[in-house]
Amino acid sequence: MSEPGSPVLPKRGGSKAVAAYFGNPLSVGGLLIVVVIVMLAALADYVTPFPDHVGPIGDFAAMNTGPGETYKLGTDTMGRDLFTRIIFGYRLSLIMAVVVLAIATPIGVIVGLVAGYKGGWTDYVLMRLTDVFLAVPPLVLAMAIMGFLEPTLMNGMLAITAMWWPWYARLIYNVTRAEAQEGYVLAAETVGASTAHILFREILPNCWPSILTKMTLDVGFVILMASSLSFLGLGVQPPTPDLGSMVADGAKYMPDAWWLSLWPAIAILLVVLGFNLVGDGLREAFEAEG
Amino acid sequence: MNFRARALASAFILASPVWLATPSFAERILRLDESPIGEIDPAKATDYADTVLAVNIYDTLVFPKAGGPGVQPLLATEWTTDGKTFTFKLKDGVKFHSGNSLTADDVVFSLNRMIAMGQGFSSLFAGRVEKAEAIDPLTVKFTLTEPYAPFLAALVRLPIVDSKTVMANKVDGKYGEFGDYADAWMSAHDAGSGAYKVESQNPQSETVMVKFPDYFLGFGENAPDKVRYRYGIEAPTVRALMSRGEHDIADLWLPPEVIRALAAEKGIKLASEAGGATGEYIKLNTTRAPLDDVHCRRALTYAFDYATALKILKIDDKYAQGIPMKGPLPSGLLGYDKSLPDYQQDMAKAKEELAQCKYDPKTSPLDIAWIAEVPARERIALLMQASFSQLGFPVKVIKTPWALVSEQVTKPDTAPHAVEIAVAAVTPDPDSLLYNMFSSKVPPTWMSAEHLKDAKVDELLEAGRSEPDEAKREAIYKELNTVLRDLAPDINAYEFTGVYTVRDAIGIPALEDKSKQTLDNFNLVFRNISVAE
Repeated sequence: MSEPGSPVLPKRGGSKAVAAYFGNPLSVGGLLIVVVIVMLAALADYVTPFPDHVGPIGDFAAMNTGPGETYKLGTDTMGRDLFTRIIFGYRLSLIMAVVVLAIATPIGVIVGLVAGYKGGWTDYVLMRLTDVFLAVPPLVLAMAIMGFLEPTLMNGMLAITAMWWPWYARLIYNVTRAEAQEGYVLAAETVGASTAHILFREILPNCWPSILTKMTLDVGFVILMASSLSFLGLGVQPPTPDLGSMVADGAKYMPDAWWLSLWPAIAILLVVLGFNLVGDGLREAFEAEG
Repeated sequence: MNFRARALASAFILASPVWLATPSFAERILRLDESPIGEIDPAKATDYADTVLAVNIYDTLVFPKAGGPGVQPLLATEWTTDGKTFTFKLKDGVKFHSGNSLTADDVVFSLNRMIAMGQGFSSLFAGRVEKAEAIDPLTVKFTLTEPYAPFLAALVRLPIVDSKTVMANKVDGKYGEFGDYADAWMSAHDAGSGAYKVESQNPQSETVMVKFPDYFLGFGENAPDKVRYRYGIEAPTVRALMSRGEHDIADLWLPPEVIRALAAEKGIKLASEAGGATGEYIKLNTTRAPLDDVHCRRALTYAFDYATALKILKIDDKYAQGIPMKGPLPSGLLGYDKSLPDYQQDMAKAKEELAQCKYDPKTSPLDIAWIAEVPARERIALLMQASFSQLGFPVKVIKTPWALVSEQVTKPDTAPHAVEIAVAAVTPDPDSLLYNMFSSKVPPTWMSAEHLKDAKVDELLEAGRSEPDEAKREAIYKELNTVLRDLAPDINAYEFTGVYTVRDAIGIPALEDKSKQTLDNFNLVFRNISVAE
């Protein structure tokens, strides 16, 4: 464990964690996948052969062409390059995951910290509220929200955020409950530190390994959830490329135009796998450190 | 259980009813599907599957004529009309599945039931029929509120139900002495006289029908003994079933690519409806700038890329899911004019028209909506975007769910500039299509998203429905078709022609022989379909 008050990651002995992480070939493989996907998505405008195929364009002479010379992975039902659309789909998925986690994590962490440290009625009200959200199956909750709202990228992110923060609240609540009994917290209380100081300067730093691990794992799951929503027709709207919609749209043409669904499905598999491997690697590394 | 099984059973002198439980080895089964549900109560029928069910389980006074517009006799042997009254003679000896005889009373009862329940195709009759009466057991007379020539054709939508069976199965309800008109019972059982009777019904998955051996018109050679009509099967499943020979006729809504792949397989052929009833209309909002100017509308009709739209629908050299139109009237209806040219893209003419339009395209953005439930329409929307942008219009393409589109298009202010909507003639009469689309008297619906108000069109529409003489009506609808071509309230993109994927062992005479083909949706007559071993 880090010393009280250290702002971010444990400073001492970080090399042990790094060694543990890179000692595991699976974790390294995961990192590689993630780095490649992030790079491709970031540079999508430069690395894709037909960047204009992201927009409302139809080339009906080339529709539903199988993988070949011009279109490496084939074209979709509008004659647009699948490789291009998958890479841009990655970009969208990653943006979505980052935004969702950037909103859901702070909300969940604050709720968990306050409830875990304060106890009593605060704990009761906040955690029962969290339980209510947790009791509803996530996809059903998101579908309910999307049913009310227009299916847009913004609302999609909102729906997923609404179902994501409780998991962070629950996780941090448990960590906080344990940490609140530690000597360093009691010491801070004795010297009269403010609640905010104890929560954010004393307890929070000790939660970082759990939060980081969960966030990394969650990138994959958020992408999967967004894909599920758009598979059901509740996600991003065409012509914006979206991996889940691509799988759904192509399913009608199975098995003849197999490329329509297969490549986007593999793309989803890869990104989820990559982030999971990195997440697992991080957890093991933190454990080795601890 | 079919005759052959019965004969076999008696030959072995099996004690009855043991043979009832024994499956016959020579039973001919026809397996087909439609989406997404099947309603067997003819008073509630609206959809494609419902029509196929009604055609096979029930009979009507008249049936859409084979090989041309209009109707031919079915239960009625002859009729007379003065425009306002219609008197029908019924065929003698027609029996319902219950064994009851079909009489004029049943016809009157069926009409009253449909109007009272107010669902399905009841709007074809409600408010139109002043009186229906049984003159004698085989004569029925309808008196209309005013002369209305399309009434005869509308009767293809009035299946005759067995009044005694219906009344025997009613429960208390809102229709007084008629109880609930057997509303609940009729959605699970039949009271028809058709060639097939319902064995079991689940509207979400399957209707099983068996031959009614006493059917008054008999059966074709090798007609199916049993028909399994399934609902809501996903396209990839239908495709896989067809490939394995476990399905006989696929629904009409498979994508062209899938149909093409199936047709290439051994043992599978294609059969097509000639079309003739359904137009795929790109409805232009004639009240919103810039499309309130006829020249801007004409410019769009010249700019649309008809050839590419048809190419998308093409399956092979012989089959396609669409054919060109020559005006708003599809090819199977009275007034269709073969001599008119097909529509085709002509950018020079489009620019000429645009020059006469009072709006500047650059400052007149166009909203194009496409119906989210029909992904194929995205292609047509993109096609429009491409060609309209060439004329200089800023174009916005919006995917909109049907529930929202059908609401938006009823108001001139919210109806998009252009939206592709398929409209089918539900009876073999042009009035059933054009009046709902273009009469300024009809309250706006999704069928009239053009919001056209034109005195000449109104005049011709009224003349068409009150004129009893067929030749004069044809002239009226020909003129109307030309007037509408000029007014350009729609881009008449193409006429829908359904393509069925069929197992080689199945013969569908109505689809294989043009002279036997009738109005779209009325061609799957099971008793004429043959199932080879």
